[in-house]
Amino acid sequence: MAVLLCAAVVAGCSNDLDGAEVPGGGAPAKRAYGDTLIEALLADVSGLIPNILSDSPSYEVGGLIYNGLVGFDRDLNLVGELAESWSFSTDCLDLTFTLRPNATWHDGRPFTADDVLFTYETMVHPKTPTSNRESFKVIERVDVVGPRTVHIRYSKPYAKALQSWGLSVLPRHVLEPYVRDGKLREAPQNWKDPVGTGPYRFAERRAGEKIVLVANRAYFAGPPYISRVVYRIIPSQPTIFLELKAKGVDAGRLNALQYARQTNYPAFEKAYRKYRHAGGGYTYLGFNLKDPRFADRRVRQAIAHAIDKRELIDGVLFGLGRDATGPYKPGTWAHNPNVKTYPHDLARARALLSEAGWKEKNAEGLLVKDGKPFTFELMTNQGNEERRKVAEIVQASLRDLGIGVEIRIIEWASFIKEYVKKRRFEAIVLGWGIGPDPDQYEIWHSSKTGPDDLNHISYANPEVDDRLEKGRSACVPAERVKHYHRLQEILAEDQPVVFLYFGDALPVVSSRVHGIVPGPNGIRYNFPEWYVPAALHRYTSG
Amino acid sequence: MHAFWRSLARNRLAIAGGVVVVCLVAAALLAPALAPWDPHRPSIKQALAAPSAAHPLGTDQLGRDVLSRMLYGARVSLAVGFVSVGIATIVGLILGSLAGYHGGTVDAVVMRFVDLMLVFPSFFLLLAVLAFLRPSIWTIMAVIGLTSWMRVARLVRAEFLTLKEREFVIWSHAIGASTLRIIWRHILPNAIAPVLVAMTLGIPAAILTESGLSFLGLGVQPPHASWGNILNEGKDAIEIAWWLSFYPGLAILVTVLSYNLLGEGIRDALDPRLRQRGR
Repeated sequence: MAVLLCAAVVAGCSNDLDGAEVPGGGAPAKRAYGDTLIEALLADVSGLIPNILSDSPSYEVGGLIYNGLVGFDRDLNLVGELAESWSFSTDCLDLTFTLRPNATWHDGRPFTADDVLFTYETMVHPKTPTSNRESFKVIERVDVVGPRTVHIRYSKPYAKALQSWGLSVLPRHVLEPYVRDGKLREAPQNWKDPVGTGPYRFAERRAGEKIVLVANRAYFAGPPYISRVVYRIIPSQPTIFLELKAKGVDAGRLNALQYARQTNYPAFEKAYRKYRHAGGGYTYLGFNLKDPRFADRRVRQAIAHAIDKRELIDGVLFGLGRDATGPYKPGTWAHNPNVKTYPHDLARARALLSEAGWKEKNAEGLLVKDGKPFTFELMTNQGNEERRKVAEIVQASLRDLGIGVEIRIIEWASFIKEYVKKRRFEAIVLGWGIGPDPDQYEIWHSSKTGPDDLNHISYANPEVDDRLEKGRSACVPAERVKHYHRLQEILAEDQPVVFLYFGDALPVVSSRVHGIVPGPNGIRYNFPEWYVPAALHRYTSG
Repeated sequence: MHAFWRSLARNRLAIAGGVVVVCLVAAALLAPALAPWDPHRPSIKQALAAPSAAHPLGTDQLGRDVLSRMLYGARVSLAVGFVSVGIATIVGLILGSLAGYHGGTVDAVVMRFVDLMLVFPSFFLLLAVLAFLRPSIWTIMAVIGLTSWMRVARLVRAEFLTLKEREFVIWSHAIGASTLRIIWRHILPNAIAPVLVAMTLGIPAAILTESGLSFLGLGVQPPHASWGNILNEGKDAIEIAWWLSFYPGLAILVTVLSYNLLGEGIRDALDPRLRQRGR
């Protein structure tokens, strides 16, 4: 799950990393078991086996049902989940996991090394419908050394080797026949009764309405405190907000307007605790680089100079975001703070445009070259107010330069399918959700410009290709940093897209829930340790 | 005609409606002169400002003046109302008079087509059509017009059915007048009264439809203002910026009500039976 096309709705797929701020602070209270937490999901899950799915609701629910061998802690360090420890050879080719002795599946069977082998076989099976295969194709073989030991041999050094084992481990004794027939998607475990090793087990599902999970008392890391988690499917951000205010849900995400202006009254602040941390996605203005006007770098740089990012962050996010200078979040290890920036400077923008041949203006005040005025269509998806506002501000800013922008807002599915994938656009406002690893081969590499690939803008730069290849095959972090820092310098100079901002993630949780420790990894990484002090229990449950 | 004006003049509600309509048309036409601010220019520092002397109706989420946007929005609403009703009336007149005058197979074919069009819930038909077309004020006018002509067609057909049997039409035939001349000079002028009423009542329906489409984001595209999309923007901020929802909502309400009052007044005034009762 390296990259997600950041979907329609605000904070729809943030990965919740880095620098957190907690308003207030929890007074220590006695830990207690029990109570129910009601969470809002923006869309129903598309299944219950995340390995073959790619939507964020499925990952959110699946994250509580399954475990990976490894996971990320508060500070985004890799820590063992089903793996107790591991060793990685210095040439980055041999990885050996030692597994936990006491982990069991939800049906009571013990978890063994054979299940790890089975998960690998599932991921590389040609009939498994997954988009996560890449990470497992570089594996030469997987050997079960003993019931608690697995050895993995890589055919070449692979930077994401260890973290790729964060995917959900699947039970061989339940799923093997479905994998063999290529029918994993149709397996009953994908829509009811999934079997995992995680802190919560499946209890009930009503399609389009809710999913209920109950605490797994036999969880290897100790039973979770909150007894029941109910995911209510509410496919509208404003409705979720109203439900929050009516206390129909206990946790959700706010948008910037709600965080800044609509939740500052005492009753809300008493009932909920608001969190704010740097989100995992950025918004950009992308150009179709096949268009000769945008193929000229000076034009892209001029547009970057014409857009006042401060105005965008204040106007669209009420200040709840950070300036983006490249595709990596400020404060993370791969981020390079010393790249070329584009301060708001109309004079500089005009000079760049005139260098590129856009000198004369017509009667309407639009720049003209070879008799044609500079106008383009800027597309974005429907239902995302934030992007619509960005488009309108960009439109007004470029008008000052003499560039005419027509905004077109299209429903999400047809926007992606008919326009973005088919490259039928001149410019777009979109977002990328990025994972903790800096590998962005899929987004920037020149080989990734096919219809189902993610290099939508058709960007091609040989040095970028080279750095991306080296960055993903190097396994020493210091060396990777070098490649990614250089990558950011080139992207900043080239401006294949205008990097606009990283919006903050703004989760909110009922104040009766204690044990939340926000960090670079957001708030949800330690969910099993969240608890409600006995005196504050709202729901009775078994 | 004299009786018509006398009857209309006595209907105070219709007069009030008419006055409001005239004021709205004037405001829309004079929008560039009346609007105190540029309706399209964002001014982030002024975002969501409450109504004040500088911004009598407050500002929106991007700091644009709501009054200016509403004045320009009035142009969109009224233009959509008039043009789409114009299209619907032309289509309805042509098909209705064809069906009514010729009868027989032509009538059957046209009327089944009318039934077919009426079967579709028109708003969903609009949504489906707009999903394929590029939304702009022109496509919206055309699409609303082409999905709302059926009522006019039926009215015209009914009038034609009775009128074509009348003596003056038969005499025209007898002296050798052409079909077109009979329809145009003799029947149509007598059939126009109910069409006029349908038009006046069709305008508010078209305005409502346009507002609904803009509210759903399928109407006029940003940054152009229409009452529907100002309202749409207002819904996210309804608790902290009531003026963003209240004023465009009020404008839609008043406009639709005025047209309806005027339309009903015209209908009553045109109806000799009602006129008698009025006396």
